[in-house]
Amino acid sequence: MTQYFQDPALWGLIAGTPVAATAIIRGRKSIAELRKEKQELKAHYATLEDHYAEAVEEAKDRAEEATKTALKSAMRTLQGLASEQQLAITKLQDKYGELQILQDLLDIDHMNSQFARRAQSIAVLCDGWLGRQRDAASLYDVVRSAKGRIRHFTRVEIRAQSNFAIVSRAVEPVALTLAELLDNATSYSAPETVIEINIRPVPKGVCIIVDDAGVGMNEEEKARAAKLLSSERSPGVSGLGNPPQFGFTVIGVLAARYGFTVSVDSTSPYGGVRAVVLLPDELLTAMPEPAPEPQPEPKEFPAVAASSPMPPEENPVAPSTTFGGLPKRRRRGAISIVPTADSAEAPAPRSSEQAASVMGAFQRGTQSGRRSTNASSEGHETQ
Amino acid sequence: MTTSDEPDQEPVAPQLVRPYVITNGRNLLGDHEFSLITLVTAAEDISRTGNLDPEKRRLLELCSGGYLSVAEIVGHSHLPVGVVKILLSDLTEEGYLFTRAPIPAAKLVDRHILEEVLNGLQARFG
Repeated sequence: MTQYFQDPALWGLIAGTPVAATAIIRGRKSIAELRKEKQELKAHYATLEDHYAEAVEEAKDRAEEATKTALKSAMRTLQGLASEQQLAITKLQDKYGELQILQDLLDIDHMNSQFARRAQSIAVLCDGWLGRQRDAASLYDVVRSAKGRIRHFTRVEIRAQSNFAIVSRAVEPVALTLAELLDNATSYSAPETVIEINIRPVPKGVCIIVDDAGVGMNEEEKARAAKLLSSERSPGVSGLGNPPQFGFTVIGVLAARYGFTVSVDSTSPYGGVRAVVLLPDELLTAMPEPAPEPQPEPKEFPAVAASSPMPPEENPVAPSTTFGGLPKRRRRGAISIVPTADSAEAPAPRSSEQAASVMGAFQRGTQSGRRSTNASSEGHETQ
Repeated sequence: MTTSDEPDQEPVAPQLVRPYVITNGRNLLGDHEFSLITLVTAAEDISRTGNLDPEKRRLLELCSGGYLSVAEIVGHSHLPVGVVKILLSDLTEEGYLFTRAPIPAAKLVDRHILEEVLNGLQARFG
């Protein structure tokens, strides 16, 4: 036993154990503390990260919002100018309708419409102004209006007319939607092919079907299009990609805002894309009665020789429908040169002096006529 | 869509369907084909007008009351003259309309011819 007591190793052990124990305990404590600290750091880091993401998101939103505001006001100016220009072109077309210059005016009109549509599309992405409110219009006219807003509009054929009309607030959005679809259709198909539009009533409303004979879309493109078309919120101006793709984005925003659906996931009978716009009943209305026309302003025509009196118009009460069963527009105002006796637009009764001078002029006219033709063969004349 | 910055509604809204769409982008007619005083009337037996564009149907209705000059039709249609001429030409080709050259103004007959006719008649019956 004593030999053990004399062993320094034993003493060493005895002295070392509590030291070691203390060291171990301290170590454990510090490990626990370190763990705790680490967790705290982690939590702190997570909050920081969240804050950072929020800040970035906020900055992005602010930038997007600023871009939108700037673009919106710029587009607003352009749209106003385009519609002013359109009115000016309309006046010129009426004024020079007879001359060859009309051809150029029609071309300029076409370019102006495309320009206005571009500005309108960007405005839609910026939650901006869509254009002047229109009256309710027939679906056929809305489709034709859309057709006029793209470059190669002569390739678009509208197969069917319909008795449907679109409520006033949806006229522009539907026209713009169709214009974007037609723009895509003409851009992604060969220049000599035709884009076909059909209008088909369905239980839920009316479908406008746009078929092209282009190359179609692959699955990836279809998925991307479907995502854009169904998105509630626009990806904004910064999310358009490069090169920017306006079409489906604009359509998606309009469809969500006005409550119609657009799908492009089927294939047309010609191998290209079939786009279907489904307009629900809420956006449809009966064919509008034409608003009473203002009295046409007197236009300046070269004096027409009224040498051939028209047969006086018979009772101008038109049937209420045309031969094709469509509502008929009533003719307004007397059309024949010779007004009927009971015409509502009969001139105001003349004063006696006027009547006398008119009769005098008539008599002088007949006399000079008889003299000039030397028409004594027409029988005895009393004067 | 109504936004606060929407401007006041202006009284004249631009036409929804522009004239170049109505003609489907075709070129204007030559000057000789229709003049402002060409007379136009609707054919007697019009059927199946349902497939026609609204503008063409309206022109047909205008013309259904008897002969009208192109100038008058233009005045009632609110379309440029050249555009109306294209539509009228289409309708004529499709058999919905008849056209008639304007009636020429009466001319003075040559006195010499009348005398010859008189002499001839007298020689035969006189």
